[in-house]
Amino acid sequence: MAEKEYQRLTAMTGVAFVSRSSLWLGKDHLLSIDSNGYAETYKRFYFRDIQEITFMATRRRFIWNWFLGAPAAVFLALLLGSLPYKGSAGPNSNLGEIVLFGFLTAICVLPFLINNLLGPTCICHLRTAVQTEVLSSLNRLRRARKTLNRIRPFIAAAQGALSPEEIPARMRAAILSPAEATTATGASPVPPPATDRPDAPPVLS
Amino acid sequence: MSVSLIQCPACQAWLLEGVFSQTQMSPCPACGVRLQVEVFPALFHSRSIGRSSETIIVEGESSCFYHPQKKAVVPCQGCGRFLCALCDCELNGQHFCPACLDAGKNRGKIKSLENQRTLYDSIALSLAIYPLLIFYFTLVTAPMSLYVALRYWKAPRSIVRRTKIRFVAAIILALLQIGGWCALFVTLAIHHF
Repeated sequence: MAEKEYQRLTAMTGVAFVSRSSLWLGKDHLLSIDSNGYAETYKRFYFRDIQEITFMATRRRFIWNWFLGAPAAVFLALLLGSLPYKGSAGPNSNLGEIVLFGFLTAICVLPFLINNLLGPTCICHLRTAVQTEVLSSLNRLRRARKTLNRIRPFIAAAQGALSPEEIPARMRAAILSPAEATTATGASPVPPPATDRPDAPPVLS
Repeated sequence: MSVSLIQCPACQAWLLEGVFSQTQMSPCPACGVRLQVEVFPALFHSRSIGRSSETIIVEGESSCFYHPQKKAVVPCQGCGRFLCALCDCELNGQHFCPACLDAGKNRGKIKSLENQRTLYDSIALSLAIYPLLIFYFTLVTAPMSLYVALRYWKAPRSIVRRTKIRFVAAIILALLQIGGWCALFVTLAIHHF
């Protein structure tokens, strides 16, 4: 059997018929697919071009927990209240209410459980030299980390590896003077200090 | 070397250390939002400057098809025309002229340039399924579904693996619906006359 051109990294996430996204692993690139069900838009991120991937924690899970948990608690209370107890007219006196509140509780509890089982939420940004894109299919931290672990070897194969200690030194070198940069990193001089330039970014002290 | 620094996505503050390539999330020094930043060597690569085409000095040198006064450096692998450094568009190790690149994209011949596809199989299946909710619509939508399925049978489907099962299901459902309507009309005709 011929080798598949793309391997699935994430399942479709998002709202059906509006916008759903998925991420696929290609030979030399990541393929992000945005779909509304009837058309697909593709974005390719070549491993050699990926500069940075950022996960930012969000409060979406917390918000959904409130949004689903509060009605679930109310319906559960109503369900418990409608259950037959000693001295009530009969075991099936509130059957309609039990079914209704049981159904409503299940509607809220099920997504509540799924929301918590999927783990913390995040937003993933992928940056190249010319763009910063949000990968909306990586909206859960656990899934995002799993995906990152899967693609890291491919990026390392395309670009080489970079140790975590090396990064701050290189960052500093980018904003220090050429002489200081040479002293700090032992690397070749960098362009004039960014802080002297009128368009230089603000620097955290 | 032109290194662009990394910003916190929440507060846009420049990040210098503490959050890079950690296994766990770390707070942004400015706003405290929890971040995990994975940095790759491409961030520190110098940006290559685009090549400029050379002017022909020696008479008789092969020239660019689009710029006759410029020196040809490579032939287009689509049409064979000679191209100068300015007109040479490299894609996955192949060299194309802008016209071939455009044609390849429009005709879907260069797969890596495709950025959109219409999913006719999903359209056909939707036309066969959703109108069943209001059955009368199927009188119109069933033939439409059949037409879409047959017309676009060979059209490219999703770029990732996808079978023709949707087309097959749409055709079967559409034929069943058309058959049902035919049976209804025949029955009505028999009763009427």
